Amino acid sequence: MSANPNQFLQTFIAEAHERLQEMEEILMHLENGPHDAGTIDSLFRAAHTVKGSAGMFRLDSIVSFAHIIEDVLGRMRDSEIEIEGDLVAVLLDSCDHMLHLVEVIAEQGEQLDDAALARENELRKRLKAYQTGNGDAQGTRVSLSAEKDIPLTASGGGEVSSDNWHISLRFAQSVLKEGLDPLYLIRYLSNIGEVISVTTLADAIPAAAEMNAETFYLGFEIDLKSSASKETISEVFEFAHQGSMIHIMPPHSKTTQYIELIRSLPEEEARLGELLVATGTLTQHELEDGLNAQQKSAQPGGTSKLLGEILIDQGSVTQEVVQAALEKQSQAKDTKTKESRFIRVQAGKLDELINLVGELVIAGAGANMLAHLSNNTPLQESTSVISRLVEEIRDSALKLRMVQIGETFNRFNRVVRDVGRELGKDIDLVITGAESELDKTLIEKIGDPLMHLVRNAIDHGIESADKRVALGKPEKGTLRLNAYHDSGSIAIEISDDGAGLNRDKILKKAREIGLIPAGAMPTDQEIYNLIFEAGFSTADTVTNLSGRGVGMDVVRRNIASLRGTVQLDSEPGIGTTVRIRLPLTLAIIDGFRVGVGKSSYVVPLDMVIECVELSEAERQAANERSYLNLRGEVLPFVLLRDHFEVAGANARRENVVVVQYAGKKAGLVVDELMGEFQTVIKPLGKIFSNLRGISGSTILGSGEVALILDVPSLVQQAVARESQQVLRKLPNNTATAR
Amino acid sequence: MAKTILIVDDSESIRQLVSHILKSAGYDVIEGEDGKDALTKLAGQKIHLIICDVNMPNMDGIGFVKEIKKSDDYKFIPIIMLTTESQEKKKLQGQAAGAKAWVVKPFRPDQMLNAVSKLILP
Repeated sequence: MSANPNQFLQTFIAEAHERLQEMEEILMHLENGPHDAGTIDSLFRAAHTVKGSAGMFRLDSIVSFAHIIEDVLGRMRDSEIEIEGDLVAVLLDSCDHMLHLVEVIAEQGEQLDDAALARENELRKRLKAYQTGNGDAQGTRVSLSAEKDIPLTASGGGEVSSDNWHISLRFAQSVLKEGLDPLYLIRYLSNIGEVISVTTLADAIPAAAEMNAETFYLGFEIDLKSSASKETISEVFEFAHQGSMIHIMPPHSKTTQYIELIRSLPEEEARLGELLVATGTLTQHELEDGLNAQQKSAQPGGTSKLLGEILIDQGSVTQEVVQAALEKQSQAKDTKTKESRFIRVQAGKLDELINLVGELVIAGAGANMLAHLSNNTPLQESTSVISRLVEEIRDSALKLRMVQIGETFNRFNRVVRDVGRELGKDIDLVITGAESELDKTLIEKIGDPLMHLVRNAIDHGIESADKRVALGKPEKGTLRLNAYHDSGSIAIEISDDGAGLNRDKILKKAREIGLIPAGAMPTDQEIYNLIFEAGFSTADTVTNLSGRGVGMDVVRRNIASLRGTVQLDSEPGIGTTVRIRLPLTLAIIDGFRVGVGKSSYVVPLDMVIECVELSEAERQAANERSYLNLRGEVLPFVLLRDHFEVAGANARRENVVVVQYAGKKAGLVVDELMGEFQTVIKPLGKIFSNLRGISGSTILGSGEVALILDVPSLVQQAVARESQQVLRKLPNNTATAR
Repeated sequence: MAKTILIVDDSESIRQLVSHILKSAGYDVIEGEDGKDALTKLAGQKIHLIICDVNMPNMDGIGFVKEIKKSDDYKFIPIIMLTTESQEKKKLQGQAAGAKAWVVKPFRPDQMLNAVSKLILP
């Protein structure tokens, strides 16, 4: 622990979070539905593990509180207390408090503030009602420790002159099977003193035919010179106590004690007596004295066997108990088994791997290109095999980062319950698509926007129970979280069956603050999505979906920074659905490479719809009317050459890449179409952060840098330019195009 | 060659901690998350000592010890049970199943090493 305790503490913190989360989920489940013994067992185990690990880190205040929870859960498991709403509520609150304890004490290394202490006392009081003393466990402990000490009667007889300890060992015959090595233990004695003599007694070895190689038959008489206490010596044999006869005689013990020892041992008395004299433990005189001092009460050998039998009897009784308990356990469904196995890997290492794989993809593309130029067929073949493998490696590496969204969704069970209670609304959360996977970084970053949207839906979307009943809706509101994969991206939907948005109110407000040009007639969807505009989420503007803390524009900004989009559909009286679309990963994209002059640009492939040739005639016409005619459709466009101010004359033949973003199409006019390829996104330096139209860069196989186009902003520019042109022809031009 | 110890505990922090203590003392360590996992990790390995927790999912410590004692390959491996002070009953069950050594949680590193040193050398 001394090397880097912090590292282990971090694991403990992560583990505690996990376990508490697990407890919370089980508790929520208990409150809502039927349960079996396995679930409660998992619950108990989670609390027990947190307590146990916290103990290892000396986090006493966590241990002490967890202990109470564990007690209560223990009684719950043993069906001593009934599971009911109040109990679950206090346990949920206790989980919260545990989480707080872990955060404050383990993470920040601080003490609880007064408010938290008061809360803890309150919780302790509430838990106390369910917890009664665990006196029986204490009782067992006392009786057991009493059993450990081997009583030595000291009655009469003179002291033995020897300065040495005398240790008499008759191990249980099963000692080898228990994994103990008697010889090792004897050697271990030399750690605490000097072993003066060891005499081995082979009397118990049966005839060769009856001998069992796995059974231990030997006895030992040992003299040890040591200043250690009896306890220390006794501890050496701590693990061998059961079923073994271990006698430890301090120096200068009474001879009578030796006599008693001799009698209690299975070997013949005379033989042992002689032996002790021979090893110098006793003098002949001492032995005779002792023997005379007491009456001989003959006790023939076999004590150890008897003891062994007793123990086996005891063992078989407990074995039955254990068996029964085990069977019961294996029948019970263990909620943990559903969890897949995980290896915890530092995120940094994974990022590094993915970065390297990215470089490998680039280098592979370079090698591939050279091979194709070389006209060397075998080389081309082998590079193409390598490219295929590299692609597979890349896919697997990216999958490593993929995490199921279910865990993030499940967190909302609690949020919905708590916020619902707070507002007096009864709401069901329905989760679908929990197994959809997306990049871990995205999962982490999507939590806040999701939280905001969920709270909004509960707070402003779903009506109060009375209102719902009056409207003929079911009294209980429903909130749905859904996730699904859709052509290279993941869609996350948050939908409620509430009142929907007030279209007219939004439109009025939008006109007031000039978001919509006077003459424009936006569609319903365009109007609803206005609530994502900055400056729109001030209170009292929109009754049923106004921000709480952060506004909806922040939600959109967060999602946009993940290269995602957010859209809102609403139907008055039926409900609202917010749909978030995110790329599956941030690291690599399928790109479409285009050339303008000598530069290369990359368009994310999922946004490309088609490519068409731009004839000279069409170009002339387009310049005049500022849109292209795509089979009769109006297509706004951007001349990349002009946009990026690429030097040089226009190419003789130009092409249009038709891209789509958020339902709007635009054409990007380029010189050359270079085809699809996969590429690793390199973030742009800070200095480029204000550049519009570029979202990143990548390195081509040839070593050249290509810029990745920010299609959303280019489309917006094109569309805005087009509408400006259109507006110019309108009489009252006060609009501000975004 | 260093002796190998299998540590079975469902708590990752305890596994890491024990593993660190043992590795610093010169032992090799294999980790198992629960009884079932440990049995698969065990296969084909030469193990000199097992340290295992009692309360675990899938297969608890007592079930695990029983499995070990059933196996001809592993029945001679010494086993240390990790118990807590409130688990006397479990300890007795563990002893009946064949685990004769135990360490009570929470323990100090030297307590753990001391217990191990009574069974094997590094």
